[in-house]
Amino acid sequence: MNASKLFVAGMALSMSATAFAAGAHDGGHGHGATSGEPGKASEASRTITVEMYDNYYEPEEISVKPGETVRFVVENKGNLVHEFNVGTPDMHEAHQEEMMMMVEHGVIQGGKLNHDMMNMDMGNGHSMKHDDPNSVLLEPGQSKEVVWKFSDKGNIEFACNVPGHYQAGMYGEVNFE
Amino acid sequence: MKPRFLTGLLSLLMPAMVLAGEYDLTVDRVKIDTGDFVKEGIGYNGKSPGPVMRFKEGENVKINVTNNLDEMTSIHWHGLILPFDQDGVPGISFPGIKPGETFTYEFPIQQAGTYWFHSHSGFQEPDGAYGSIVIEPEGREPFRYDREYVVQLTDKHPHSGDRIMRNLKMMPDYYNREQQTVGEFFSDVSKNGLMNTVSDRMAWGGMRMMKADVEDIHGFTGLINGKGPSQNWTGIFEPGERIRLRFINSSAMTYFDIRIPGLDMTVVQADGNNVQPVSVDEFRIGVAETYDVIVRPKDEQAYTIFAESMGRSGYARATLAPEEGMEAAVPQLREPARLTMADMSGMAGMDHGSMSGMDHGNMDMNSSEGMSGMDHSNMEDMDHSDMSGMDHGSMVMGKEGPSDPFYAKGSGLVPTAANGGKFLSYADLKAQDPLYEDREPTREIELRLTGNMERYTWSINGVKYEDADPIRLKYGERVRFKFVNETMMTHPMHLHGMWSILDVGADQWNPIKHTVSVQPGTTVYMETEVDGPGQWAFHCHLSYHAAAGMFRKVIVEGGPESTQAKTDVIAKDGGEV
Repeated sequence: MNASKLFVAGMALSMSATAFAAGAHDGGHGHGATSGEPGKASEASRTITVEMYDNYYEPEEISVKPGETVRFVVENKGNLVHEFNVGTPDMHEAHQEEMMMMVEHGVIQGGKLNHDMMNMDMGNGHSMKHDDPNSVLLEPGQSKEVVWKFSDKGNIEFACNVPGHYQAGMYGEVNFE
Repeated sequence: MKPRFLTGLLSLLMPAMVLAGEYDLTVDRVKIDTGDFVKEGIGYNGKSPGPVMRFKEGENVKINVTNNLDEMTSIHWHGLILPFDQDGVPGISFPGIKPGETFTYEFPIQQAGTYWFHSHSGFQEPDGAYGSIVIEPEGREPFRYDREYVVQLTDKHPHSGDRIMRNLKMMPDYYNREQQTVGEFFSDVSKNGLMNTVSDRMAWGGMRMMKADVEDIHGFTGLINGKGPSQNWTGIFEPGERIRLRFINSSAMTYFDIRIPGLDMTVVQADGNNVQPVSVDEFRIGVAETYDVIVRPKDEQAYTIFAESMGRSGYARATLAPEEGMEAAVPQLREPARLTMADMSGMAGMDHGSMSGMDHGNMDMNSSEGMSGMDHSNMEDMDHSDMSGMDHGSMVMGKEGPSDPFYAKGSGLVPTAANGGKFLSYADLKAQDPLYEDREPTREIELRLTGNMERYTWSINGVKYEDADPIRLKYGERVRFKFVNETMMTHPMHLHGMWSILDVGADQWNPIKHTVSVQPGTTVYMETEVDGPGQWAFHCHLSYHAAAGMFRKVIVEGGPESTQAKTDVIAKDGGEV
């Protein structure tokens, strides 16, 4: 299991953003017009640590400057799988359907991710990898980075789209200074 | 009812302040107006339902209960973990509260969440003696909301509890309006064939049950927070807000299927314990259960909270709206579910031999075969706005019908969402933060839920309460209870004083509850960490089933010595249940 985890991590890093769910690519992911774009770590003005608990973030709101690149260090301190995803409410809503599919296919199982299932070919080159640059999906105890260049303005939230978590209130506001 | 916070001098000297609140409750004769009828009842502080008692986790509460009735009373704090002599069951926890007397309950609040309280004396609870409890956690909640409402349901009947019980004993189908008629028999004959219909009826008769006994009490008005459907209790919101609704089913006998057309409900708590959030379109709340859901109405419009009784004999209705006086459409009641032979597979009296020749396809009313028997010529008259009431689940799932591991395979009772969406199952409930380590149970105790509908006797292992020995548990053990429902009714089993760890197959994530529904023809397991010394009640929470004898005393042997001594005193005092 450990070996396959490392393998998956390596794969994810080497890949560019690809959809993991057939037909749900549009609007579901980080290429949206309003949330921003992947940033370069070298351009990050600062690092914000976001801790994920069951089921809430600390902090629950952040302030950024329009166009700012931020390096997020995301730590899962809970007992369940959680996501950190930067997007608009509509993007989150679309992404929730994909995440529901991941639960239904046994990819997300409470506190565990089934990596074999994530990599399985779902046809047409699609898989349930969760490797978009605007988000990370973490098992308990894991920590990863997201470098994000925010757009000029917009209604942006960071959110956990594991089924039920966003609805229960696991999201944070991005305020523009 | 206003808490008086006694911080006291001592607390100044102590590093951690102990919160202490004192509360007063009076037990009174009250008038209950349902909009359909007005009746005499029992309430707290002059009203039924009684007040919302708001506590804080870690607080020591002192509650002075004054009995203004001319009969004995008691208050049981449903779902609270407390010393057994504060649990409020006459004859088990204490002798009860005499007319004119004030009894002071005192216990620490060791949990958070939504609970309720009610009389445990006679039929005072169905007569109106109930209220709600909201406990704020010490830390933050694992979810967010902008406002909250208690939504407390009941099934108010024009008859008093005593009268209902007398009538049931005399004629068990007294309140059942859904029984099949001769006309229905002939329509079944034309649909299913004579032999199938006759053998179906003979099977039912042999089991001393009436075919439509999904509910045994009809003719009630469903109330939400004391208001009938026409009185329309309304909770105000601003569009975009998250609202926490604390649903409590304080009914005597009625299960409700709850939905809010137009809104997803995210279930975050069951029986006071946080669960991993699950978004649903509809859920079924058993008698005595609680479910907390979060909804987020985004539009400037009214939404109906619609609670249909499981047997579709009545409903409760309330509204969420941006302003008082706004209302949304109230859906029609759907067709009642009918039990199938699968729901009675657990019945001891069944003649299995005679079943071999039967066509099972015809018995499953939800099956696609059943649908093809529909008279389509009548369809023109259908109001298509009611189409949402159709059972979409069974249509897509084909012959097997909708399924839920907590209902018998092929059951006619499996609930489906009115909009074809997600209906909550027990199997969806996973503990958010498990209270206990998962471990092997030390032993298993089988409890067969038994009854004879024709005599209106309800029992456990065929023995009613007054003839039964107590169940003896050892402090520190973990007992696995095996419920085998041999009746055709659903029984909400409630163990006092200790948590019921419901086995949903999720091991360490199994949720803890205080009330566990056992559907007809099913076997359900729950485990209990025996950590509550003393003696406790354990019973079906349907008022008239508990009174008829589906009830046990549980004695926990061992534990701290002081508790053991107290048990002996109460055993000597006796008192009525």
